[in-house]
Amino acid sequence: MTDRNELWGDLLRRGNRGDAAAYGRFLTEAVPVLRNIARARLPGGNAEELEDVVQEVLMAVHAKRHTWRESDPVTPWLYAIARYKCADAARRRLGRGGQGADVPIDDLAEVLPDEAGGEITAARDLGRLLDRIEPRAADIVRGLGIQGESAAEVGSRLGMTEGAVRVAYHRAMQKLRDMADDDMAAGNAVGEVERPGQIKGAGDEPGPTGRRAEAADG
Amino acid sequence: MNTDDLIAQLAQDPAPAPSARVEARLWPWLAGGLALTAAAFALLLGPRPDLAAALAQPVVAAKTLLPLLLAALALPLALRAVRPGARPGWPARVLWALPLAVVALIALAWLGTPASERMRLFIGHSIHVCLPAITLLSLPPLAGLIAALKRGAPVHPTGAGALAGLAAAGLATALYSTFCIEDSPLFYGVWYSLGIGIATGIGALAGRRWLRW
Repeated sequence: MTDRNELWGDLLRRGNRGDAAAYGRFLTEAVPVLRNIARARLPGGNAEELEDVVQEVLMAVHAKRHTWRESDPVTPWLYAIARYKCADAARRRLGRGGQGADVPIDDLAEVLPDEAGGEITAARDLGRLLDRIEPRAADIVRGLGIQGESAAEVGSRLGMTEGAVRVAYHRAMQKLRDMADDDMAAGNAVGEVERPGQIKGAGDEPGPTGRRAEAADG
Repeated sequence: MNTDDLIAQLAQDPAPAPSARVEARLWPWLAGGLALTAAAFALLLGPRPDLAAALAQPVVAAKTLLPLLLAALALPLALRAVRPGARPGWPARVLWALPLAVVALIALAWLGTPASERMRLFIGHSIHVCLPAITLLSLPPLAGLIAALKRGAPVHPTGAGALAGLAAAGLATALYSTFCIEDSPLFYGVWYSLGIGIATGIGALAGRRWLRW
Protein backbone atom coordinates (compact mmCIF):
# COMPACT_ATOMS: atom_id res chain seq x y z
CA MET A 1 0.00 0.00 0.00
CA THR A 2 2.87 2.33 0.82
CA ASP A 3 4.54 1.39 -2.43
CA ARG A 4 1.39 2.13 -4.29
CA ASN A 5 1.03 5.47 -2.56
CA GLU A 6 4.61 6.36 -3.40
CA LEU A 7 4.28 5.30 -7.01
CA TRP A 8 0.93 6.96 -7.55
CA GLY A 9 2.01 10.05 -5.68
CA ASP A 10 5.06 10.27 -7.89
CA LEU A 11 2.97 9.83 -11.05
CA LEU A 12 0.43 12.41 -9.94
CA ARG A 13 3.12 14.92 -8.99
CA ARG A 14 4.63 14.52 -12.42
CA GLY A 15 1.16 14.92 -13.89
CA ASN A 16 0.74 18.15 -11.96
CA ARG A 17 3.86 19.39 -13.73
CA GLY A 18 2.41 18.55 -17.12
CA ASP A 19 3.65 14.99 -17.64
CA ALA A 20 0.76 13.50 -19.62
CA ALA A 21 2.28 10.01 -19.76
CA ALA A 22 2.68 9.83 -15.99
CA TYR A 23 -0.84 11.08 -15.40
CA GLY A 24 -2.24 8.62 -17.94
CA ARG A 25 -0.35 5.80 -16.27
CA PHE A 26 -1.76 6.77 -12.88
CA LEU A 27 -5.30 6.67 -14.25
CA THR A 28 -4.68 3.36 -16.00
CA GLU A 29 -3.25 1.77 -12.87
CA ALA A 30 -6.12 3.09 -10.78
CA VAL A 31 -8.79 1.50 -12.97
CA PRO A 32 -8.61 -2.09 -11.66
CA VAL A 33 -8.77 -0.79 -8.09
CA LEU A 34 -11.70 1.43 -8.98
CA ARG A 35 -13.46 -1.54 -10.57
CA ASN A 36 -13.05 -3.47 -7.33
CA ILE A 37 -14.46 -0.63 -5.31
CA ALA A 38 -17.39 -0.26 -7.69
CA ARG A 39 -18.08 -3.99 -7.59
CA ALA A 40 -18.03 -4.03 -3.80
CA ARG A 41 -20.19 -0.93 -3.48
CA LEU A 42 -22.73 -1.80 -6.13
CA PRO A 43 -23.52 -5.44 -5.54
CA GLY A 44 -25.30 -7.08 -8.41
CA GLY A 45 -24.27 -4.43 -10.89
CA ASN A 46 -23.60 -5.74 -14.36
CA ALA A 47 -20.29 -5.13 -16.10
CA GLU A 48 -21.63 -2.26 -18.16
CA GLU A 49 -23.06 -0.44 -15.16
CA LEU A 50 -19.84 -0.90 -13.21
CA GLU A 51 -17.76 0.38 -16.11
CA ASP A 52 -20.00 3.46 -16.31
CA VAL A 53 -19.36 4.11 -12.64
CA VAL A 54 -15.60 3.59 -13.07
CA GLN A 55 -15.63 6.15 -15.86
CA GLU A 56 -17.59 8.56 -13.70
CA VAL A 57 -14.98 8.16 -10.98
CA LEU A 58 -12.19 8.79 -13.49
CA MET A 59 -13.88 11.97 -14.67
CA ALA A 60 -14.42 13.09 -11.08
CA VAL A 61 -10.77 12.38 -10.26
CA HIS A 62 -9.80 14.45 -13.27
CA ALA A 63 -12.15 17.33 -12.51
CA LYS A 64 -11.10 17.43 -8.85
CA ARG A 65 -7.43 16.55 -9.18
CA HIS A 66 -6.50 19.93 -7.70
CA THR A 67 -7.99 18.78 -4.35
CA TRP A 68 -5.13 16.32 -3.87
CA ARG A 69 -2.18 17.79 -2.01
CA GLU A 70 1.22 16.63 -3.07
CA SER A 71 2.17 15.98 0.54
CA ASP A 72 -0.81 13.67 1.12
CA PRO A 73 -1.03 9.96 0.32
CA VAL A 74 -2.95 9.33 -2.90
CA THR A 75 -5.02 6.30 -1.99
CA PRO A 76 -7.27 7.80 0.73
CA TRP A 77 -8.02 10.65 -1.64
CA LEU A 78 -8.71 8.40 -4.60
CA TYR A 79 -10.81 5.93 -2.63
CA ALA A 80 -12.86 8.71 -1.04
CA ILE A 81 -13.74 10.01 -4.49
CA ALA A 82 -14.56 6.49 -5.67
CA ARG A 83 -16.79 5.83 -2.66
CA TYR A 84 -18.59 9.14 -3.15
CA LYS A 85 -19.31 8.43 -6.79
CA CYS A 86 -20.38 4.87 -6.04
CA ALA A 87 -22.76 6.12 -3.36
CA ASP A 88 -24.10 8.52 -5.94
CA ALA A 89 -24.66 5.70 -8.39
CA ALA A 90 -26.28 3.55 -5.69
CA ARG A 91 -28.62 6.40 -4.82
CA ARG A 92 -29.57 6.84 -8.46
CA ARG A 93 -30.25 3.16 -8.68
CA LEU A 94 -32.45 3.35 -5.58
CA GLY A 95 -34.20 6.39 -6.95
CA ARG A 96 -35.15 4.43 -10.00
CA GLY A 97 -36.28 1.26 -8.27
CA GLY A 98 -36.38 1.88 -4.56
CA GLN A 99 -39.31 1.59 -2.29
CA GLY A 100 -41.52 4.62 -2.17
CA ALA A 101 -39.88 6.11 -5.22
CA ASP A 102 -42.48 7.76 -7.36
CA VAL A 103 -41.66 6.29 -10.74
CA PRO A 104 -43.90 4.68 -13.32
CA ILE A 105 -43.61 0.99 -12.86
CA ASP A 106 -42.61 0.39 -16.46
CA ASP A 107 -39.37 2.26 -15.88
CA LEU A 108 -38.45 -0.62 -13.64
CA ALA A 109 -38.50 -2.98 -16.57
CA GLU A 110 -35.03 -1.74 -17.43
CA VAL A 111 -33.72 -2.11 -13.93
CA LEU A 112 -35.16 -5.35 -12.69
CA PRO A 113 -33.53 -8.38 -14.18
CA ASP A 114 -35.80 -10.60 -16.21
CA GLU A 115 -35.63 -13.45 -13.81
CA ALA A 116 -37.33 -15.89 -16.11
CA GLY A 117 -35.62 -18.50 -18.19
CA GLY A 118 -33.38 -20.04 -15.59
CA GLU A 119 -33.02 -23.73 -15.14
CA ILE A 120 -36.09 -25.21 -13.66
CA THR A 121 -35.63 -27.41 -10.66
CA ALA A 122 -37.64 -28.32 -7.70
CA ALA A 123 -40.84 -27.75 -9.58
CA ARG A 124 -42.65 -30.26 -7.42
CA ASP A 125 -41.74 -28.55 -4.16
CA LEU A 126 -42.22 -25.18 -5.69
CA GLY A 127 -45.74 -26.20 -6.60
CA ARG A 128 -46.41 -26.92 -2.96
CA LEU A 129 -45.12 -23.52 -1.94
CA LEU A 130 -47.03 -21.82 -4.72
CA ASP A 131 -50.31 -23.07 -3.29
CA ARG A 132 -49.54 -20.95 -0.25
CA ILE A 133 -49.19 -17.59 -1.99
CA GLU A 134 -51.65 -15.35 -3.74
CA PRO A 135 -53.12 -17.07 -6.84
CA ARG A 136 -52.21 -14.26 -9.21
CA ALA A 137 -48.63 -14.12 -7.96
CA ALA A 138 -48.45 -17.89 -8.22
CA ASP A 139 -49.71 -17.65 -11.77
CA ILE A 140 -46.92 -15.20 -12.61
CA VAL A 141 -44.28 -17.41 -11.04
CA ARG A 142 -45.61 -20.43 -12.94
CA GLY A 143 -45.60 -18.50 -16.19
CA LEU A 144 -42.16 -16.96 -15.86
CA GLY A 145 -40.33 -19.48 -13.78
CA ILE A 146 -41.80 -22.83 -14.82
CA GLN A 147 -43.34 -22.46 -18.25
CA GLY A 148 -40.60 -20.16 -19.40
CA GLU A 149 -42.87 -17.45 -20.73
CA SER A 150 -41.47 -13.96 -21.05
CA ALA A 151 -42.64 -11.14 -18.80
CA ALA A 152 -44.38 -9.57 -21.78
CA GLU A 153 -46.32 -12.74 -22.54
CA VAL A 154 -47.46 -13.19 -18.97
CA GLY A 155 -48.33 -9.51 -18.86
CA SER A 156 -50.53 -9.66 -21.92
CA ARG A 157 -52.25 -12.76 -20.56
CA LEU A 158 -52.99 -11.12 -17.20
CA GLY A 159 -53.54 -7.61 -18.48
CA MET A 160 -50.49 -6.23 -16.69
CA THR A 161 -47.56 -4.25 -17.99
CA GLU A 162 -44.25 -5.98 -18.39
CA GLY A 163 -42.74 -3.93 -15.59
CA ALA A 164 -45.58 -4.79 -13.23
CA VAL A 165 -45.13 -8.47 -13.99
CA ARG A 166 -41.44 -8.30 -13.17
CA VAL A 167 -42.12 -6.47 -9.95
CA ALA A 168 -44.77 -8.97 -8.92
CA TYR A 169 -42.49 -11.86 -9.90
CA HIS A 170 -39.63 -10.41 -7.96
CA ARG A 171 -41.77 -10.00 -4.85
CA ALA A 172 -43.29 -13.43 -5.16
CA MET A 173 -39.85 -15.02 -5.49
CA GLN A 174 -38.72 -13.16 -2.42
CA LYS A 175 -41.71 -14.46 -0.54
CA LEU A 176 -41.13 -18.01 -1.72
CA ARG A 177 -37.51 -17.83 -0.70
CA ASP A 178 -38.54 -16.63 2.73
CA MET A 179 -41.07 -19.41 3.01
CA ALA A 180 -38.51 -22.00 1.97
CA ASP A 181 -36.09 -20.59 4.50
CA ASP A 182 -38.75 -20.80 7.18
CA ASP A 183 -39.48 -24.38 6.27
CA MET A 184 -35.83 -25.26 6.46
CA ALA A 185 -35.43 -23.42 9.70
CA ALA A 186 -38.39 -25.29 11.07
CA GLY A 187 -36.50 -28.44 10.24
CA ASN A 188 -39.18 -30.08 8.18
CA ALA A 189 -38.19 -31.47 4.87
CA VAL A 190 -34.58 -30.48 4.71
CA GLY A 191 -33.35 -31.90 1.45
CA GLU A 192 -36.86 -32.31 0.26
CA VAL A 193 -37.91 -28.74 -0.25
CA GLU A 194 -35.37 -27.27 -2.55
CA ARG A 195 -35.16 -23.58 -2.36
CA PRO A 196 -36.89 -21.90 -5.24
CA GLY A 197 -33.91 -19.57 -5.26
CA GLN A 198 -32.36 -22.06 -7.63
CA ILE A 199 -34.80 -21.15 -10.33
CA LYS A 200 -33.36 -17.71 -10.51
CA GLY A 201 -30.54 -16.49 -12.64
CA ALA A 202 -30.58 -16.96 -16.38
CA GLY A 203 -27.01 -17.90 -17.14
CA ASP A 204 -25.79 -15.87 -14.19
CA GLU A 205 -23.04 -17.23 -12.08
CA PRO A 206 -24.63 -18.98 -9.14
CA GLY A 207 -25.44 -16.33 -6.60
CA PRO A 208 -24.80 -16.73 -2.92
CA THR A 209 -28.39 -17.88 -2.52
CA GLY A 210 -27.89 -20.76 -4.90
CA ARG A 211 -24.62 -21.74 -3.33
CA ARG A 212 -26.10 -21.78 0.11
CA ALA A 213 -28.96 -23.95 -1.07
CA GLU A 214 -26.51 -26.45 -2.51
CA ALA A 215 -24.62 -26.57 0.72
CA ALA A 216 -27.83 -27.23 2.58
CA ASP A 217 -28.68 -30.02 0.22
CA GLY A 218 -25.33 -31.72 0.46
CA MET B 1 -17.00 5.17 -24.48
CA ASN B 2 -14.18 2.77 -23.88
CA THR B 3 -12.39 3.36 -20.57
CA ASP B 4 -8.95 3.37 -22.22
CA ASP B 5 -10.09 6.04 -24.66
CA LEU B 6 -11.43 8.10 -21.79
CA ILE B 7 -8.10 7.87 -19.98
CA ALA B 8 -6.22 8.84 -23.14
CA GLN B 9 -8.47 11.87 -23.45
CA LEU B 10 -8.14 12.90 -19.79
CA ALA B 11 -4.38 12.43 -19.88
CA GLN B 12 -4.03 15.09 -22.53
CA ASP B 13 -4.68 17.64 -19.81
CA PRO B 14 -2.54 16.44 -16.92
CA ALA B 15 -1.91 19.56 -14.86
CA PRO B 16 -4.79 21.22 -13.00
CA ALA B 17 -5.19 24.94 -13.51
CA PRO B 18 -3.69 26.87 -10.56
CA SER B 19 -6.90 28.91 -10.37
CA ALA B 20 -8.88 25.73 -9.73
CA ARG B 21 -7.61 25.51 -6.15
CA VAL B 22 -10.22 26.17 -3.46
CA GLU B 23 -7.96 28.61 -1.66
CA ALA B 24 -7.53 30.66 -4.82
CA ARG B 25 -11.13 31.72 -4.57
CA LEU B 26 -11.68 31.45 -0.85
CA TRP B 27 -10.20 34.70 0.39
CA PRO B 28 -11.69 37.03 -2.21
CA TRP B 29 -15.13 35.47 -1.85
CA LEU B 30 -15.04 35.38 1.93
CA ALA B 31 -13.76 38.95 2.07
CA GLY B 32 -16.53 40.04 -0.30
CA GLY B 33 -19.16 38.42 1.89
CA LEU B 34 -17.70 39.91 5.03
CA ALA B 35 -17.60 43.37 3.46
CA LEU B 36 -21.30 43.11 2.74
CA THR B 37 -22.00 41.96 6.29
CA ALA B 38 -19.86 44.74 7.75
CA ALA B 39 -21.65 47.33 5.61
CA ALA B 40 -25.07 46.06 6.73
CA PHE B 41 -23.90 46.06 10.32
CA ALA B 42 -22.55 49.61 10.14
CA LEU B 43 -25.68 50.84 8.44
CA LEU B 44 -28.30 49.14 10.60
CA LEU B 45 -26.70 48.37 13.95
CA GLY B 46 -23.28 49.84 14.69
CA PRO B 47 -21.06 49.14 17.68
CA ARG B 48 -22.23 49.97 21.19
CA PRO B 49 -20.89 53.27 22.56
CA ASP B 50 -19.10 51.70 25.52
CA LEU B 51 -17.47 48.94 23.47
CA ALA B 52 -13.90 49.36 24.70
CA ALA B 53 -14.91 49.39 28.36
CA ALA B 54 -17.25 46.44 27.90
CA LEU B 55 -14.61 44.29 26.18
CA ALA B 56 -12.34 44.81 29.16
CA GLN B 57 -14.64 42.52 31.14
CA PRO B 58 -13.78 38.87 30.40
CA VAL B 59 -17.39 37.69 30.41
CA VAL B 60 -18.28 40.33 27.83
CA ALA B 61 -15.15 39.72 25.76
CA ALA B 62 -16.08 36.03 25.67
CA LYS B 63 -19.18 36.77 23.64
CA THR B 64 -16.95 38.19 20.90
CA LEU B 65 -13.97 35.88 21.28
CA LEU B 66 -15.82 32.57 21.41
CA PRO B 67 -17.55 33.15 18.05
CA LEU B 68 -14.23 34.28 16.56
CA LEU B 69 -12.61 31.11 17.83
CA LEU B 70 -15.50 29.14 16.38
CA ALA B 71 -14.87 30.69 12.97
CA ALA B 72 -11.13 30.09 13.26
CA LEU B 73 -11.75 26.38 13.88
CA ALA B 74 -14.67 25.83 11.52
CA LEU B 75 -12.99 27.46 8.54
CA PRO B 76 -10.04 25.05 8.29
CA LEU B 77 -12.45 22.19 8.95
CA ALA B 78 -14.61 23.32 6.04
CA LEU B 79 -11.53 23.44 3.84
CA ARG B 80 -10.54 19.94 4.87
CA ALA B 81 -14.07 18.74 4.30
CA VAL B 82 -13.77 19.56 0.61
CA ARG B 83 -10.58 17.52 0.21
CA PRO B 84 -11.47 13.85 -0.22
CA GLY B 85 -9.72 11.60 2.25
CA ALA B 86 -8.44 14.49 4.40
CA ARG B 87 -8.82 13.95 8.14
CA PRO B 88 -10.46 16.71 10.19
CA GLY B 89 -7.57 16.58 12.68
CA TRP B 90 -7.18 18.61 15.81
CA PRO B 91 -9.53 21.53 14.99
CA ALA B 92 -12.42 19.04 15.12
CA ARG B 93 -11.43 18.00 18.62
CA VAL B 94 -10.89 21.54 19.86
CA LEU B 95 -14.19 22.62 18.35
CA TRP B 96 -16.06 20.53 20.91
CA ALA B 97 -14.52 22.57 23.68
CA LEU B 98 -16.58 25.57 22.57
CA PRO B 99 -20.05 24.30 23.45
CA LEU B 100 -18.60 23.05 26.72
CA ALA B 101 -17.19 26.50 27.44
CA VAL B 102 -20.55 28.06 26.64
CA VAL B 103 -22.38 25.64 28.95
CA ALA B 104 -19.85 26.39 31.68
CA LEU B 105 -20.34 30.13 31.21
CA ILE B 106 -24.09 29.74 31.41
CA ALA B 107 -23.83 27.61 34.52
CA LEU B 108 -21.50 30.09 36.23
CA ALA B 109 -23.78 32.98 35.33
CA TRP B 110 -26.75 31.02 36.64
CA LEU B 111 -25.02 30.49 39.96
CA GLY B 112 -23.76 34.05 40.12
CA THR B 113 -27.11 35.65 39.38
CA PRO B 114 -29.80 36.17 42.04
CA ALA B 115 -32.77 33.90 41.38
CA SER B 116 -35.10 36.84 40.82
CA GLU B 117 -32.83 38.22 38.08
CA ARG B 118 -32.19 35.05 36.10
CA MET B 119 -35.32 35.07 33.99
CA ARG B 120 -35.01 38.76 33.19
CA LEU B 121 -31.42 38.38 32.00
CA PHE B 122 -32.21 35.21 30.09
CA ILE B 123 -35.09 36.73 28.13
CA GLY B 124 -33.41 40.12 27.82
CA HIS B 125 -34.97 42.66 25.51
CA SER B 126 -33.50 41.93 22.09
CA ILE B 127 -34.13 38.33 21.06
CA HIS B 128 -36.17 39.63 18.15
CA VAL B 129 -33.10 41.54 16.94
CA CYS B 130 -30.46 39.04 17.93
CA LEU B 131 -31.74 35.94 16.15
CA PRO B 132 -32.58 37.51 12.78
CA ALA B 133 -29.46 39.68 12.85
CA ILE B 134 -27.09 36.77 13.46
CA THR B 135 -28.82 34.69 10.83
CA LEU B 136 -28.91 37.43 8.18
CA LEU B 137 -25.38 38.71 8.84
CA SER B 138 -24.17 35.13 8.38
CA LEU B 139 -25.60 34.81 4.91
CA PRO B 140 -23.11 36.90 2.85
CA PRO B 141 -19.98 35.17 4.19
CA LEU B 142 -21.80 31.85 3.95
CA ALA B 143 -22.60 32.51 0.29
CA GLY B 144 -18.97 33.44 -0.34
CA LEU B 145 -17.75 30.29 1.39
CA ILE B 146 -20.15 28.02 -0.46
CA ALA B 147 -19.11 29.59 -3.77
CA ALA B 148 -15.46 28.96 -2.95
CA LEU B 149 -16.02 25.44 -1.59
CA LYS B 150 -17.78 24.48 -4.80
CA ARG B 151 -14.30 24.18 -6.28
CA GLY B 152 -13.57 21.45 -3.80
CA ALA B 153 -14.86 17.90 -3.61
CA PRO B 154 -16.76 17.37 -0.36
CA VAL B 155 -17.61 13.72 0.17
CA HIS B 156 -20.22 14.92 2.67
CA PRO B 157 -21.73 18.00 1.03
CA THR B 158 -24.22 18.58 3.85
CA GLY B 159 -21.52 18.44 6.50
CA ALA B 160 -19.20 20.70 4.53
CA GLY B 161 -22.05 23.19 4.15
CA ALA B 162 -22.75 23.02 7.87
CA LEU B 163 -19.08 23.78 8.63
CA ALA B 164 -19.23 26.73 6.25
CA GLY B 165 -22.36 27.84 8.12
CA LEU B 166 -20.56 27.56 11.45
CA ALA B 167 -17.61 29.59 10.19
CA ALA B 168 -19.83 32.28 8.67
CA ALA B 169 -22.01 32.42 11.78
CA GLY B 170 -18.95 32.71 14.00
CA LEU B 171 -17.77 35.76 12.09
CA ALA B 172 -21.24 37.31 11.93
CA THR B 173 -21.86 36.70 15.62
CA ALA B 174 -18.55 38.21 16.65
CA LEU B 175 -19.51 41.32 14.75
CA TYR B 176 -23.03 41.41 16.12
CA SER B 177 -21.74 40.99 19.67
CA THR B 178 -20.12 44.43 19.45
CA PHE B 179 -23.59 45.94 19.02
CA CYS B 180 -25.42 43.86 21.59
CA ILE B 181 -25.49 45.19 25.14
CA GLU B 182 -26.88 42.07 26.77
CA ASP B 183 -23.82 40.91 28.57
CA SER B 184 -25.03 37.97 30.63
CA PRO B 185 -24.12 34.50 29.37
CA LEU B 186 -27.68 33.63 30.34
CA PHE B 187 -28.67 35.69 27.32
CA TYR B 188 -25.90 35.37 24.79
CA GLY B 189 -24.94 31.81 25.67
CA VAL B 190 -28.40 30.69 24.70
CA TRP B 191 -29.56 33.06 21.99
CA TYR B 192 -26.27 33.48 20.12
CA SER B 193 -25.95 29.71 20.10
CA LEU B 194 -29.43 29.40 18.70
CA GLY B 195 -28.68 31.97 15.98
CA ILE B 196 -25.46 30.16 15.11
CA GLY B 197 -27.42 26.93 15.02
CA ILE B 198 -29.90 28.39 12.56
CA ALA B 199 -27.13 29.68 10.30
CA THR B 200 -25.41 26.29 10.49
CA GLY B 201 -28.63 24.61 9.44
CA ILE B 202 -28.91 26.97 6.49
CA GLY B 203 -25.30 26.13 5.63
CA ALA B 204 -26.09 22.42 5.76
CA LEU B 205 -29.05 22.89 3.40
CA ALA B 206 -26.96 25.05 1.10
CA GLY B 207 -24.25 22.40 1.10
CA ARG B 208 -26.70 19.69 0.24
CA ARG B 209 -28.07 21.81 -2.55
CA TRP B 210 -24.92 23.37 -4.01
CA LEU B 211 -21.92 21.37 -2.89
CA ARG B 212 -22.74 18.14 -4.65
CA TRP B 213 -20.48 17.27 -7.53
